[in-house]
Amino acid sequence: MSVPEQSLITDEHRAQVGKKSDPLTVVIKEEDARRMRDVLGDTDPRYADGTGIAPPYVIAGMGGGPRRGMPQVLPGGLLTQQEWKFTRPFKIGEELQAVSQVYDIRDRLGGRYGYSVLLTQGTEYYDANGEHVASAMITITQFDPKSQRKGDE
Amino acid sequence: MTQRYYEDVNIGDETEPLERVPTTDMAIDFFGRDNPTNPAFSDIEAGKRLGVGGALVPGLLKLSWLSQYVSDWAGPDAAVRNLRAAYRRPDVADRPLTMAGHVVDKRIEDGKPIIELEVVTLADGQPSTRANVQVELPTRG
Repeated sequence: MSVPEQSLITDEHRAQVGKKSDPLTVVIKEEDARRMRDVLGDTDPRYADGTGIAPPYVIAGMGGGPRRGMPQVLPGGLLTQQEWKFTRPFKIGEELQAVSQVYDIRDRLGGRYGYSVLLTQGTEYYDANGEHVASAMITITQFDPKSQRKGDE
Repeated sequence: MTQRYYEDVNIGDETEPLERVPTTDMAIDFFGRDNPTNPAFSDIEAGKRLGVGGALVPGLLKLSWLSQYVSDWAGPDAAVRNLRAAYRRPDVADRPLTMAGHVVDKRIEDGKPIIELEVVTLADGQPSTRANVQVELPTRG
C-alpha cells in the first residue's frame, strides 16, 4: 500500500473514542500467577504460592485487556507504548470487572510504513466493591506490512 | 532482597544491570500455551513478515521483567505503582537483553514517598524499551 490520499480512519472508527465497553469479569488465577512467575524467574516471597497475592505483572495476561474491541484500521499491529497503574495488589481468586475504552485514534505519516494509524486504548479494573485496582493502557501502531520500506525487512 | 528506604535513595543512583535471554518458549509459556497470542512470538517467518528479523519478543514480557527488576531493587516493603513504557525497537528472541536504570526523581506525592526510575532494556547496547517506573518506598521514620 502506498500512502493513502486521505485518512483511512472512518467516522465509525472515531465514534468508538470515549465509548466504554460493557464490564467483563476476570478472575485472578493462581495457576496464571505461578506460570508467569516461573517464566520470569521471580522468587519474590510476597507472591509465592499460599500468600494469596499475585505479582503485578499478571495484568499482562488478564482477559478483557486493552486490546478488547480495538478498532482494526490496518491489518498489522505493533505495541509501541504501554502504561500500567496499580492502586493495590491483586488477590488470588478475586473477580475484577474490566471496562475498556478507546482514548485516541490518529493517522501517522512517515516512518517505516509510510502511513500508519496510532490507536490508544485502555482498561480499568475494579473490585467487587467498585474500588479501582489497576489500569492498563496501550498504544498500538497499525500498519500494512506490504507497505514496509525496502531495507527494513 | 534488600530493602531500600526513601531517605537513602538519591537522584542519579544506578541500578545493577541484569541480563535476560528471552526465548520463544518463554513468550508462549508466559501467556499460557492454551491462549492465543501473536504468531510472531513463536514463528520466525511471521516475525520476519513484520520486519522484525526473527521471532518477536512480546512487549508485555519485557515490561513484566522491568516491573520485577524495579520491584527487586526496591525491596519487599515497596510497591510498584506505575510503569510507562515506550517500545523503541522490536527485540528478537534468543538475543540477550540487559536491563539497567537510574533514579530520576524522588518526591512526596499525596503523602506517599515516591521514587521514579528510568529503566531500559538494552539490545546490543542500544535501548529497545524505555520505561519510567514509580515505586513507593517505606521511610525510616
